[in-house]
Amino acid sequence: MENSEQHAEKTEEKKEHAQEQKHKTFKEHKHWYDKHHKTLLLIPLIVLALCLVYLVIFYQNHGDFIYKDVSLSGGSSITLQGNINREVLETGLKTKFPDVSFTSLSDITSQKQIALIIESSAEPQTLKLEIEKVLGYELTDANSTIEFTGSTLSQGFYKQLIMALIISFILMSFVILFLFRTFIPSIAVIFAVFADIVMPLAVLNFFEVKISAAGIAAFLMLIGYSVDTDILLTSRALKSHEDSLNKRIYGAFKTGILMTLTALAAVLPAFFLVTGLPDSFRQIFLILAIGLCADIFNTWLTNASIIKWYCDKRGIK
Amino acid sequence: MKLGLRIWILLTVLLLAFLIIAPWKSLEKGVVITSVERNSTELSEGLRQGQVITFIDGEKISSVEDFSKIVGAKNYSNQYLKTIITTNEGEFIVYSNQSLGLTVSSIPKTNIKTGLDLSGGSRALIKAKEKDLTSSEMTDLVDVISNRFNVYGIADVVIAPVSDLSGNNFVLIEIAGATPKDLETLISQQGKFEAKIGNDTAFVGGDKDITSVCRNDATCAGVESCFPSQSGGFFCSFRFSVYLSEQAAQRHADLTKNLSVNLTAQGSYLSKNLDLYLDDNLVDTLLIGDSLKGRVTTQISISGSGSGATEEDAYTAAEESMHNLQTILITGSLPYKLEIVKLDTLSPNLGKEFTKNIIFLGILVFVIISIILFVRYRKIKLTLSVILTMFSEAFITLGIAALIGWNLDAPSIAGIIAGMGTGVNDQIVILDEATSNKHLSAKERIKRALFIIFGAFFTIIAAMLPLFWAGAGMLKGFALTTILSVTVGILITRPAFADIVRRIHE
Repeated sequence: MENSEQHAEKTEEKKEHAQEQKHKTFKEHKHWYDKHHKTLLLIPLIVLALCLVYLVIFYQNHGDFIYKDVSLSGGSSITLQGNINREVLETGLKTKFPDVSFTSLSDITSQKQIALIIESSAEPQTLKLEIEKVLGYELTDANSTIEFTGSTLSQGFYKQLIMALIISFILMSFVILFLFRTFIPSIAVIFAVFADIVMPLAVLNFFEVKISAAGIAAFLMLIGYSVDTDILLTSRALKSHEDSLNKRIYGAFKTGILMTLTALAAVLPAFFLVTGLPDSFRQIFLILAIGLCADIFNTWLTNASIIKWYCDKRGIK
Repeated sequence: MKLGLRIWILLTVLLLAFLIIAPWKSLEKGVVITSVERNSTELSEGLRQGQVITFIDGEKISSVEDFSKIVGAKNYSNQYLKTIITTNEGEFIVYSNQSLGLTVSSIPKTNIKTGLDLSGGSRALIKAKEKDLTSSEMTDLVDVISNRFNVYGIADVVIAPVSDLSGNNFVLIEIAGATPKDLETLISQQGKFEAKIGNDTAFVGGDKDITSVCRNDATCAGVESCFPSQSGGFFCSFRFSVYLSEQAAQRHADLTKNLSVNLTAQGSYLSKNLDLYLDDNLVDTLLIGDSLKGRVTTQISISGSGSGATEEDAYTAAEESMHNLQTILITGSLPYKLEIVKLDTLSPNLGKEFTKNIIFLGILVFVIISIILFVRYRKIKLTLSVILTMFSEAFITLGIAALIGWNLDAPSIAGIIAGMGTGVNDQIVILDEATSNKHLSAKERIKRALFIIFGAFFTIIAAMLPLFWAGAGMLKGFALTTILSVTVGILITRPAFADIVRRIHE
């Protein structure tokens, strides 16, 4: 450590006073990080453990790891266009279809509801008839979208998407192992990605979000999407030997956090700024957004701590 | 400044994408023909799907509304009228006593095709009930269903066999635009038609027993009469002729030969009736006139009825069930029952709303990312080059989608927008690697950036690949556009961007 510090100081010597000041604060930060990176690792580990416990309890209570929407559990989804009174429909449908649920889509500029999604495990024809009765007009393909997924298909869908998720994770692990060809740093990355999947899953369940087929596809994408900051961190930590390790990790952090921020900027507006979007679309972005937030945590606490530990042990400075 | 090879490649590909997408199409006026009715005068005159109609009878057509207004105003009532149709492929004159057998839609604004969830239409997945179909049986099934749509008169339909990871086979049916009223019957009916006398089958549906079916000819097919029914409402009866093969006619003669004749108030009929069964349900019972006893007759009249709350409803219902029965009789039946496992009818209006919001979202994402980058780098040139690269990537991806005729549904577009996010990430890596590690050679710095970028590229491909097969390919679009956009990034835009950044730094 001493060596690299001197080295760092030598290269910085000619810089201005202000920059030196900055460097000093960085040094203090580094010092603190040297002492506490193992403690820092505890935080995400505890959170991850809590999430896993929550998911296990959830599984015992619900017989599954997620709340499935009708595309995965079978049933009908009817989207009514226009500003439709939700309460009237709710009271009108609740008795006949106890499992019916509603989601409104609103236009962001006017705050006006542009569509109402009604979901139930019932057959589309019976649900449609009942809605027509309550609303007093006929549902046609001009004013509504009706989607129906049979229960055999949806079960197949679900199984296969989970299978796809596992295959995706395994393929990603192979790519990472091939890239770094060292065991512990690769495992650190793979572990961080695993945490990136588990944490959003727990969050979604906590808020009782029903996950659709597109939602599970989003988890696959999350695997690819969240791994780039881990690759950045690991390659910077392992490969460059000019600056001190801490400085390299900090440099990677500066780049990586900007990457995550822009990635969030690509997915968050679909959520807070433009809401009149297809449900599949919004769900993909919701899961990516939660996943990216978890990724900040898992890359810069979990993965960074492990890689720092590994480099210290291996004498990579 | 001399542009490098990589920048030239980017510019060329951008130009190609522009030519493929063809955004100037939105300036074209007229309506495009989506289908021409079979055996119609219009077809024999040379009107074809894809032609663009600009004028009818000298009046300008700039929207579907214009088209329906002018076509609807023509009053045929059994007289022959002349219609002059001006298209991009010349003028056609149609002389007919029936209204135009054409369906049209507005000209697409670009060559980018949107999926059913954005353009509206219907989509269904069907499979055989309790039976695994072999690939040749699948092809047969696709043929039978295609044939039904054809006979029914729906042209704009995609029917394809799909299979999933567990080896289940489905037939996917996608219909753009309006949903046909009896879609469910059309796609899921086994269509087993049997005409029985007592317990013996006289003839069945399909071309083996039935040589032809009278359709669209008022002299031998049509709704005949309507009556108020006892339960309120109305019912209407229809009748159409079918022509039997010699064998079927002989069978009919053999079966009626030994029947006795009953005299009733209405006339004299044979002691047994001709019962018509569709998928084992009795749909109609016909009395057989005594003159037919033991006679080999190839022409048989089939009748049935439809009911409804009003006379008009009953009439439409009768017409529809006649149309359906005719289709089944022509196309024959399937050797197994079918099951609809997914059926979506998607509103075009809602799709329009969604498309509008997605475009708005795309612009918003651009603006927000630009602001973040500008705040971080404080250099207008760098920020601009990141933004332009990001735009190029999305644009080229759209170009490729248009080239391969991919229908972009909502998840596909989500893939493009998410792809933009990863694209920007890679550029940030290039920028930061280029500005840090000053003591390394430029080549080494780019090499390090490329290691990270290639690593991210391969992981995202590995992660998305399984989606191509899972869930009957319903989420293929999401995987496809994501993989396309990262590939475009790695092959075309990223090298050009690295070049641009090098030039800016020089």
